[in-house]
Amino acid sequence: MASRPGDKHPALLALTSSALLLPAYQGVRADAPPEFIELGTRYSKYEEDNTQGSKTFGGSSQRYEVDAAQFHLLAPVLDSWAVAVDVQWEDMSGASPWFVGQSLDGGPKVIMSGASIEDTRTEVSVTTRYYYDRGNAGFNYVHSDEDDYESNAVALDGAFNSADGMTTYSAAISTSADDIEPTQGSVPTNTLKDNKDISSAWIGVSRIVSKNAIVRFGLAYTYRDGFLTDPYKKNDRRPSERNEWAFSTGYRQYFFWPDGALQADYRYFDDDWGVASHTLDLAWHQNLGERTQLIPFLRYYSQGEADFFANIADTDKRHYSDDYRLSSFGAVSGGLRVRHEIGNWALSAVGERYETDESWGVYSGQESPALVNYWRYSFGLDYIFR
Amino acid sequence: MLLCLLGLLALPAGAAGVQAGQAAPPLSLPLLSAGSPAVFTLASLQGKVVYLDFWASWCGPCRVSFPQLEQLRRELGPRGFEVLAVNVDEVEADALRFLQEVPVTYPVVRDATGETPRSYGIPGMPTGFLIDRSGVIRLVHQGYRKSDGAALRASIMEVLGE
Amino acid sequence: MKQLAIYLFVLLCLSGCETVQPWERGTLAKREMQWQPDPMETSLQAQVNSSKEASSGGQGAAGGGCGCN
Repeated sequence: MASRPGDKHPALLALTSSALLLPAYQGVRADAPPEFIELGTRYSKYEEDNTQGSKTFGGSSQRYEVDAAQFHLLAPVLDSWAVAVDVQWEDMSGASPWFVGQSLDGGPKVIMSGASIEDTRTEVSVTTRYYYDRGNAGFNYVHSDEDDYESNAVALDGAFNSADGMTTYSAAISTSADDIEPTQGSVPTNTLKDNKDISSAWIGVSRIVSKNAIVRFGLAYTYRDGFLTDPYKKNDRRPSERNEWAFSTGYRQYFFWPDGALQADYRYFDDDWGVASHTLDLAWHQNLGERTQLIPFLRYYSQGEADFFANIADTDKRHYSDDYRLSSFGAVSGGLRVRHEIGNWALSAVGERYETDESWGVYSGQESPALVNYWRYSFGLDYIFR
Repeated sequence: MLLCLLGLLALPAGAAGVQAGQAAPPLSLPLLSAGSPAVFTLASLQGKVVYLDFWASWCGPCRVSFPQLEQLRRELGPRGFEVLAVNVDEVEADALRFLQEVPVTYPVVRDATGETPRSYGIPGMPTGFLIDRSGVIRLVHQGYRKSDGAALRASIMEVLGE
Repeated sequence: MKQLAIYLFVLLCLSGCETVQPWERGTLAKREMQWQPDPMETSLQAQVNSSKEASSGGQGAAGGGCGCN
């Protein structure tokens, strides 16, 4: 495919709600809307490994499984506008960790929620974007709904190019209001009904390094306020506030000989719960002729445990949690993406494997018996109305 | 280093590009067609009103501008209007593929060295220059939006009528 | 904070002072040179990761979006 447009350099990613990264759609070019209507669909399957028998009360248990479908529509409107609609459906089922207890042989073991939870989540996101000669501004609204959770979020973002087009500055702010009403029945819950608010801000800069390379830096701040505890976990009581910082940087370089590009991204995260993390994403985008791409990718993630995390939670303390997601661990994941174009159509497939282990991280802490491993597959079909 | 620091804070850098009112720099480039060694010059179009369009296969707005410019040329050609497109793709095959998808009948030349766009001081891609019958630039058109065709037509008619 | 800002500024400068002209930006327009060549894939991965890990954002954030388990 000869032309993915770009007279001026792509703007940085801006801040939006978790599922939609619309500014990416404008990231191809900061100052002109897309030429054609684009449609995209994805089907994904996510399957967690069973828990380890030696680390689970009652022996190895099945975990979580998700079927997800994504739909995307991007269309230019009039001369200077674009509209994007993104819809996501997720069908989730399975058991998840209820709490961690001390076993007779000494080690901590996880007790899974016995019954299988089944839930469906729907998310709709709409973004409108205005393009002027040196940049753009966008407004985004996201609504997400599932049996026990509802979220409404709005975001504003903007980007503009320097006079020589070599640098793009971007910024975004967003806020969301979430309502939680945990499903009763399988396990006793920590609340019957509650809510939380999340606000964030982001600034970033993207710079052309050479004809073949670009670099970016970004800084994000997030503030969470309200009921932040996991309602389905027995030993879980988290602070009602959380301040987070994330510094990120990225690099892209194209190599003419192999006709491929290296993609690297790094993020450092820090918050006032004591969690800190490093994330490194690497991918090699290999072109095979004009219409096919093969993209192996690798990710390394390492996080440190929250101050109040403990496998055997001390319920006398003000805050405590035995949730593996707040424990110290390292995660390595990788896989392959394949993409093939046929006329205005594009077919894609992704296979990814993710594994965690406490010893793979650079931070030390207690190893949770509930660390998760999973497989993920995705299949996609896109169409562009040329 | 200091220059770069200042450069980052750059406010509109003085436009090094040719502006309306100046004479269009001379141009002599090979035609972009399979195997043709023919060289095309801007001077050969003296006496006509010319829209000089700098484009590339990777330039999205060019997919919008090409059909519109083709349409304008068919309509106003008999009155002395011509379009001359200058391709700046590094890889010629990309330009040829673009032309297969968006064919035009006006002359397309190629400059892979960057000299012609530099002599014109192109501020961005695409950029078009409306040149009157005596070789003076009357309009510098940067970028291309869907509704630009109508505005361009009006400008061309005005210059044709002189 | 001020030190960080200066450090970034310097990094930014070291990263390229010679202007790449508008007509030389063809390679940068390639799909593989975008920050997000596949937005749906990126958003899915970001969502899965932020549900299973304690970190989020760096590319986008706010918006609860899920009752993650």
